[in-house]
Amino acid sequence: MVRTQRFFIVSIVLMVLISACAPATSVPAAETVKSQADLGGIKTYLTGKIGELKSSSTQLKAASDTYYELAQASGFDYVALWTDHSSEVSKALLDAKSAWLAASPLYEQMEGIVAGTPSLAEYDVILDAGGSGEDDPENAVPFDITLPDGRVLPKPGNLFGVLETTLWGTNPDYVVSNMEADLDANGTVDFGEALPDANILKGAVDLFDQYVSDLDTAIQAWIPTESDAFTSLVVMVPTMNEYFESWKNSRFVAGDASTQSDFVAISRLADIQDILSSLQVVYVGVKPLIVTLNSDQATQIENDLGGLKDFVADVYKQEQDGKRFTAEEADLLGAEAQNRATAIAGQISQVAASLGIAIEE
Amino acid sequence: MKNVLRCLFALTLLFSLTSYQVRADALPPSQVAEQIRSSLFTAQMSFASDPSVTQMEFDRARSAYADEFQRAIVDADVKVDESIRAGFEQMQAAITNNSAADFALARAQTWTAILHGSYLVVEHAIQNNRPDLAQSWLPVREYRTATRFSRPNADATLALKNLAAQSINTEEALQFLHADLFDTYQARLNEALRDLESADQNDFPIRRAELAGLASGYFQILAPAYLKQRGVDSLDETQRIFSDLQSAAVSGAGIQPLLDSVRAALDGFRAAPLTPAEQSRRAGQLIRYLNLVPVEYERGVADGKVTKALEIQEAVTFHEAAQAAFDDLRDLLNQYDPAKTEQAAQLIEKMGEQLDSASTGGEVASADEITKGTEEAVSILQAAMPEEWQKGSAAGDFDVIASMLDQMENAVRQNDYALAESARLEAYAMMETGPEARLVVFAPQLKLTLEELFWNGQGEHKGLAYLIKENAPYSEIKATRAELDRSLTQAQKEIGKNTAPAAIAVNAGIIVFREGLEAVVILASLMSSLKSAEERKYRKPMWVGVGLALAATAFTWMLAHELLRSLARYGEKLEAVVSLVAIAILLLIMNWFFHNTYWTGWIANFHSQKRRLLSKETGLWVGLITLGFTSVYREGFEIVLFMQALVLEGGIVTVLLGVLASLAAVVLFGMIVFSLQKALPYMKILIVTGVLIGSVLLQMVGSTVHVFQVVGWLPIHVVQGMNVPYWMGTWFGVYPTWEGLAFQLASAIFVVGSYYLAEGLRHARLKNISNKSQVAHS
Repeated sequence: MVRTQRFFIVSIVLMVLISACAPATSVPAAETVKSQADLGGIKTYLTGKIGELKSSSTQLKAASDTYYELAQASGFDYVALWTDHSSEVSKALLDAKSAWLAASPLYEQMEGIVAGTPSLAEYDVILDAGGSGEDDPENAVPFDITLPDGRVLPKPGNLFGVLETTLWGTNPDYVVSNMEADLDANGTVDFGEALPDANILKGAVDLFDQYVSDLDTAIQAWIPTESDAFTSLVVMVPTMNEYFESWKNSRFVAGDASTQSDFVAISRLADIQDILSSLQVVYVGVKPLIVTLNSDQATQIENDLGGLKDFVADVYKQEQDGKRFTAEEADLLGAEAQNRATAIAGQISQVAASLGIAIEE
Repeated sequence: MKNVLRCLFALTLLFSLTSYQVRADALPPSQVAEQIRSSLFTAQMSFASDPSVTQMEFDRARSAYADEFQRAIVDADVKVDESIRAGFEQMQAAITNNSAADFALARAQTWTAILHGSYLVVEHAIQNNRPDLAQSWLPVREYRTATRFSRPNADATLALKNLAAQSINTEEALQFLHADLFDTYQARLNEALRDLESADQNDFPIRRAELAGLASGYFQILAPAYLKQRGVDSLDETQRIFSDLQSAAVSGAGIQPLLDSVRAALDGFRAAPLTPAEQSRRAGQLIRYLNLVPVEYERGVADGKVTKALEIQEAVTFHEAAQAAFDDLRDLLNQYDPAKTEQAAQLIEKMGEQLDSASTGGEVASADEITKGTEEAVSILQAAMPEEWQKGSAAGDFDVIASMLDQMENAVRQNDYALAESARLEAYAMMETGPEARLVVFAPQLKLTLEELFWNGQGEHKGLAYLIKENAPYSEIKATRAELDRSLTQAQKEIGKNTAPAAIAVNAGIIVFREGLEAVVILASLMSSLKSAEERKYRKPMWVGVGLALAATAFTWMLAHELLRSLARYGEKLEAVVSLVAIAILLLIMNWFFHNTYWTGWIANFHSQKRRLLSKETGLWVGLITLGFTSVYREGFEIVLFMQALVLEGGIVTVLLGVLASLAAVVLFGMIVFSLQKALPYMKILIVTGVLIGSVLLQMVGSTVHVFQVVGWLPIHVVQGMNVPYWMGTWFGVYPTWEGLAFQLASAIFVVGSYYLAEGLRHARLKNISNKSQVAHS
């Protein structure tokens, strides 16, 4: 009996000792403080935009397929294609351009959030920001395009860029050489009128459509966090300089002297406004949280963000009204936009730090 | 009526003026400053097209600089106020003379003078214990230009917040203020100089004048730091160069020679004082990056030729990182030992030239030469550095890990997966020889996450080792890297919370106690079971094994830290092999122990069969020695790595205290188990020993399967929906994978099955003996 008791005592002591060694389980504190941020609006906005982008992408794919089928039926003899089917070809290509022109601003209206959210940022590299393996290996896109005829375009750069330079003919490697095509039948072959290599167009469009679908899936799965929202503001607001730089070097400022093959269809100033619009949506989401810290500062940031967008809109309006800015004026305007953007990002960083919200690297 | 109207007009005017005044006064300083800045920009842009707008906007800016705003600057430094007012005068003169470039120069000078004034207002407010004033003026500042890859810091903001909450003192707040703002304005100065060169090349006269004014203005803010570091003569000379630069920028004269002079004058100058933690961090980076240079270089050259260009490129990258860290520390090092600093500078510079030559198709230095140069530089630097810098810096470790992961990503981009794997292993080895020792105790849940991301995890983001082995696309590797970065950031934060010596001692103690507990449970329970005089001799081989393991641990400890780091890439695999041996031996010994010693020994009490049972002595001795050895050394290598990391951070005495305390606890625990168990009767000892060793065996099997999965020697199939708390893995080896659970179940069945098998055999034998006895008696 005594031995049995001792046995139980030994066992209990050992069990107590062993369990005492286990580290205390850190039970997360109950979330008693509900976040003041309203992030649902950001997701709703993004979901709406990706739906519209998918629709444009589908139209682009339909037009590209039509053009490819016409070219295939002609045995990829582009002279015969243009001679025999100029109206169908023109319609298909103008439809494709029109779909691209719809898709591009739609993406720009999402870019501020997509590019600034770590879990979605890869799609920005793929669709709109990544360089080519040749020009910028450090920031190159992670894909190759395999064309229907088996050729491979290794790391050709972002898909909006590839498609723009193919559809507007600014990359001679992507279009049929020594062929003129007056697509709009106005009697002159204007800038941007060219016959794309049907294989390149189809390969790029198909991949574009696939990535848009993937982005759609990623967005549906995304649950925005305060950190995501602050990160996208701090990361994307200060990218003004990059956009003004490409605007300065584009045809919209440099005219025919421009050697830049992309950003020929839409002025970068329009893109900047679209990006800022999406960032304003993000800011609306986090503003209630900032108000809890400092309502004056919350208003100040909102005004500054609006002021930056108005500033760009004013420059864009002048451009639309026919003003051609000099390179130095573009530089001055870019510096001013950058100064404003840096100040906004700086303020948001301070707020985030004060609220203890991590800005992702 | 007229009088009434007059009166109404006067009242309205008075009300308007009053309310305007109230509004202006109510505006926070940052809005006043922004009003001035934006009005002056609009004035600049209208200069050529609409002079009336220029004048109007200029007047608006000048009138905004008044009242409280101006008074605060006057109170802080009247000379800065004079500079601002002089700037406005120059702008007015430029409007009159229709000189856009002069206006741009004066605009930049005025704006930077306002920034300077604001900085001084904040500094004075902190000194005079007025955190509210400091907080209202701090936003009149610029920030480092944020990019997709860098963020403005918030050190000054947080410092003022903490000052207001009295969690830091005035001196600390000033230190953060200086570090943040000086760092910002030095970055802006460098940017302005870079843009100035570009504006000059593009022949933009207005931008050129503006940028020269900005560069000079930023330097003026940094002048006190420059004076302190370089002396009054150097400051006068540099200010003269800036003055000439401004004149040349406006006149259109060549500015390149002046830009070169400015750059030479700023070479090695670092305005923001490094905090002691930052100094340690840079020192850690410097030594680690330098040590990595020969490692990479050696892999990239053979017989005087470059065989792997990417390895050389990595060596160049690490050298550049080391150079940057050295540049940051150079002035400080000079204060400790100028001669050694100069020697180190020359060696680092020479190494840079050698690497440059190898990477550009020139002469290729031998790997030995680079190694020798590195060792010499490191040795000189360590002799020159103060002791505090040489303590391990977790922040420095994380920086180096990030650099290595960058190299890994870069290699994947180049489709060089072998090189990517090498970089991954380097990063992991740095993790294991540095921060992991702290994570094991203070954030064990993160250790598991990091292990999975570094190795073969099969969660949402697959592990890097797995992805690299599968030649996965860059996008997948990048996504895992991003996840890994998040976990590393969190780990850095967790570690940062526990840096006090007591925390490090506890850290060391817990590691030793946890690892020692397993060994002591096995050994104490087995030894206590060997009770009889004849059995006691089997305690000896176990002690021999323990002694050998302790000697091996001591030998491992004596290996140089750098050698250990280079071996650390094999740490997990070593642990897997030793653990497997430990399990095999434990099973063998258990088999011997239960089936021969006790069962047979118990029966032998009746039949005196003892001599037969202890046959094959030699094999048994080897087995027991191996059991003693593997039980103790199973994680000996990793413990040594951890302890060395902790010694670097907390010093030998702190770590030793923790280790000794926990060793004493382990020994005490062993003695308790031993003495309590010894007092039990045979059958009870048998059961307690069986339960204890069986539990340890289950833990060992679970942990070993986990390590096998980590290094990719076993597949991973996660049990979906099973959430196991991390401590179940740390302490009991339970991980939610089918393989781990299956092996543990198999072990349990083996142990329990053995018990019932032996029980069955015993009953059969007893029955047999009883039958024979009855037959004999009858």
